[in-house]
Amino acid sequence: MEEIKDKSIHHTALRLCEDLKQNPTYKGLYTDVQKLVSSSNVKYEDFKESLSKSMKENGLEAELRNNVYHWVRSQNKDNLCYASFDSFFKKAQIQWEKRIHKSLNSMCSELGIHLARIRFTQDREELIEKWGELSNYDVDINKYRPVYSPKDFLEVLLNLKGPNYKHRGEEPTWDFSHIPIKVKDLSELRTLYSELSHGEAVMGMNTSRYMSSSYAAFEAERIALGERVVLSNHAPVAQEYLKKGCPPCLRKKMWTLVLGSEVKETHYHYYEKLKTHVLQYDLMVDKLIIKDIHLTASNDDQYFVFEDVLHQILLCFSRDAEILKQLSNKPGYMQVVLKGKPSTPENTLIFPPSGVIPFHGFTMYAAPFCYLFDDSVALYFTVRAFYLRYWFRLHRVCGHSQGILCLCLLFERLLQCYDPVLWHHFKKIHIPPIRVVFKWIMRAFSGHLPPEQLLYLWDLVLAYDSLEAIPLLAVVILIFRRDNLLRVTTLQNIEAVLADLSSIAVMSMLQMALSKE
Amino acid sequence: MRVTFCTDLDKNVVVANCEKRGWIQVGPEDDWNIYWAGTLTCRSLFSVDSGYRMNDNQIINHFPNHYEISRKDLLVKNIKRYRRDLEKEGNVLAERGDSKYLHLDFIPVTFVLPADYNMFVEEYRKAPQSTWIMKPCGRSQGSGIFLINKLSKLKRWSREANKNPLQPQLAKESYVISRYIDNPLLIGGKKFDLRLYVLVTSFRPLKAYQFRLGFCRFCTVKYDSSVAELDNMYVHLTNVSVQKHGEEYNALHGGKLSVQNLRLHLESTRGKEVTERLFDQISWLIIHSLKAVQPVIATDRHCFECYGYDIIIDNKLKPWLIEVNASPSLTSTTANDRILKHKLLDNIFNIVVPPSGYPDVRWNKIVSTEALGDFELLIDEDILNHGNHDDTASLDRHSNRSANFYRWK
Ligand SMILES: Nc1ncnc2c1ncn2[C@@H]1O[C@H](COP(=O)(O)OP(=O)(O)O)[C@@H](O)[C@H]1O
Ligand SMILES: [Mg+2]
Repeated sequence: MEEIKDKSIHHTALRLCEDLKQNPTYKGLYTDVQKLVSSSNVKYEDFKESLSKSMKENGLEAELRNNVYHWVRSQNKDNLCYASFDSFFKKAQIQWEKRIHKSLNSMCSELGIHLARIRFTQDREELIEKWGELSNYDVDINKYRPVYSPKDFLEVLLNLKGPNYKHRGEEPTWDFSHIPIKVKDLSELRTLYSELSHGEAVMGMNTSRYMSSSYAAFEAERIALGERVVLSNHAPVAQEYLKKGCPPCLRKKMWTLVLGSEVKETHYHYYEKLKTHVLQYDLMVDKLIIKDIHLTASNDDQYFVFEDVLHQILLCFSRDAEILKQLSNKPGYMQVVLKGKPSTPENTLIFPPSGVIPFHGFTMYAAPFCYLFDDSVALYFTVRAFYLRYWFRLHRVCGHSQGILCLCLLFERLLQCYDPVLWHHFKKIHIPPIRVVFKWIMRAFSGHLPPEQLLYLWDLVLAYDSLEAIPLLAVVILIFRRDNLLRVTTLQNIEAVLADLSSIAVMSMLQMALSKE
Repeated sequence: MRVTFCTDLDKNVVVANCEKRGWIQVGPEDDWNIYWAGTLTCRSLFSVDSGYRMNDNQIINHFPNHYEISRKDLLVKNIKRYRRDLEKEGNVLAERGDSKYLHLDFIPVTFVLPADYNMFVEEYRKAPQSTWIMKPCGRSQGSGIFLINKLSKLKRWSREANKNPLQPQLAKESYVISRYIDNPLLIGGKKFDLRLYVLVTSFRPLKAYQFRLGFCRFCTVKYDSSVAELDNMYVHLTNVSVQKHGEEYNALHGGKLSVQNLRLHLESTRGKEVTERLFDQISWLIIHSLKAVQPVIATDRHCFECYGYDIIIDNKLKPWLIEVNASPSLTSTTANDRILKHKLLDNIFNIVVPPSGYPDVRWNKIVSTEALGDFELLIDEDILNHGNHDDTASLDRHSNRSANFYRWK
């Protein structure tokens, strides 16, 4: 028995080492260790001890530990809770992707353009010149339409006919109850978010008008602690720290630490390559990206100041093949031949290289991060890390417990159990509640909550490594507005009741929802 | 007793706020309790010839000689005098280092033209590379403003202004010329300034409140300090009235970012300490700009006034006072703007009307915390002088802050 365990540890260690070597930062780390070994602190006679001691002292140990932590987190990405439906969801996702690709192709033929081509010199020069102010990049995007909207995607999800699906009379699909996946109930959520359910002091409680002196003292205490966490440079400690919400001044560091998205020189080179790719190839997604920014951030008084940097990072994002590689269950992607070139492998391109086709509102997965970063490269890698760990599951069909379907189901079950009266009200007026909140969930509330509040919510996503706080918050908001909701009967009026979320205090509402009376 | 109000502005936000309170609109000849007037109406009401005398239950939204703070030349004159007086007293506030005021250096170096022309030239020669901004003293909304980087340009301008027979008023109009802040803090590469609101309910003793919900007004074109862009007002002037004519103007957000979001961005990228210091310095400069005009503003218990402060933050996070408007725009450009201005008016009325709900100038004008709304107490000399801290808005952080401001006194 011991032997087997030993062996499996050994195997894990081997795999870990192999994977670490693939890591772009490995070379730097390795060089640092080599330097350390050749210093006088490390003794030949006492190699192991003295090396590990000096690694501890100069912070390399923390870095190595963080690498292991990120590796472990990347390993259990695929734990599908319902393997038996796995193939069903996979099929559905493939169909959905086919539809997207088809609509891309038909948009292209409608507009008489190609998916991919070498960029015209003149165009390239303009792009280079305007890289810092891409909102002024002169390209006609009037004719482009978002490929799909959250509403379209909800339709797809609602029409999934699970393996246990039984047709239920006249009524069109109303909810997800026919999808046989188990989601957490309230008490399980209380266990998961135990720090919140215990009603301890947390950040973001200063929404009452006056900055009370006790809150100021609490914040100062949190900052002092947080600075020590940052100094220790231990990712798991940072994750733990986020459970009580992060003071804005430390968020950038804390998030980067937990996500392992610190940027080194290699990242700047890598980003530069993505940019070169953008300059070299004229892809049809570029216009979709630009269109989406124009439709969202550029018109939004919370984000318009960031429209230029959003252009940069989202264009680069589309060129990042690492994204396609790292996505578990790779999305189906298109291979296209460059316009006017013979169809040889050199002229064939995965379209887009990241495999991600933006939908209406995709920009909002990135926009809030702009509040944290001045440097576009650092911004890029944190956005990418967040996307790869969380957001990608919000726009695909899958049965993962962190996927959009489970989150919708969670929302429905929670609403039903917290407030059956409100649930019945929705039933009576024939408006599925999920319709009302789906855009919040699919965008993780980005663009709906004011950034200050939104970032607290995303603190929790990282801290608990879970998106379940999102549907929970959606339920709480409905319940908070229940009196007004019960008074109205049309979708339009319901949306009016829920349109303005500027007064929502995320942390206190979640705390209230999770605490046992 | 029903409260009556009167206004000569067709701003819906004023009327709507008053009506919401059940106040009845009346004409200027009738018995009004609250008059929300334009500055001209106000001035003629206060003028000796009008012969109008207000009773104890009437209040009005301007001080008779508000121009002491709102005219660009007078503001500068008053601040200069304030600093000199403090210096004569030997007050540490007026301490200098390197010839500059250490604590009171919050307006760009400014001269009045043509009166101070020689002084300007002397200053200009010290740094002939720098850019200056010319602004007509009595105008607003960015009108008549231009930048110069050469003395010759100024001379040419003055020759032409004198020559022009069609516009003789140009010759008479006086200007201020200020050092142009050529290193403004940029966000997304664009220049912005802050519009903050400050309510004064009395100058002697000074009682002032700062509204928490201001906004940044962004230029629509990237900042570029090169000579080629010197005449491009979309690069340099942040006035909405200028920017809205720009090709890139977006009416959905109106180029306005809330001050809370600016704060979030600064705290996140630069840290809490420097951000706090910046906002404390802003409150500091507001208080001292008010104290600078305190001795010259006519005391009148019927008056209150809401000022629109224009402040530019430079890239070292130092705030600069640009000007003070006595009639800040109440027009809303966007949905959020409308919400903000409604709140502003609502909160102003909560503060200027005593708890009884009926205007009364004999009231001591000490405001309870609940009535403050989104205003924060900046300074109340009654409270400072009498140490009367209980039951008033000066609880919490602010008593400390005000105390800090006066630690040298
Ligand atoms: N000294 C200065 N440095 C930089 N910008 C300035 C300066 N003075 C004015 N500005 C810019 O010009 C705008 C208009 O100036 P301001 O003094 O407010 O006149 P107005 O009454 O026309 O609004 C300001 O909002 C600011 O953007
Ligand atoms: Mg102005």
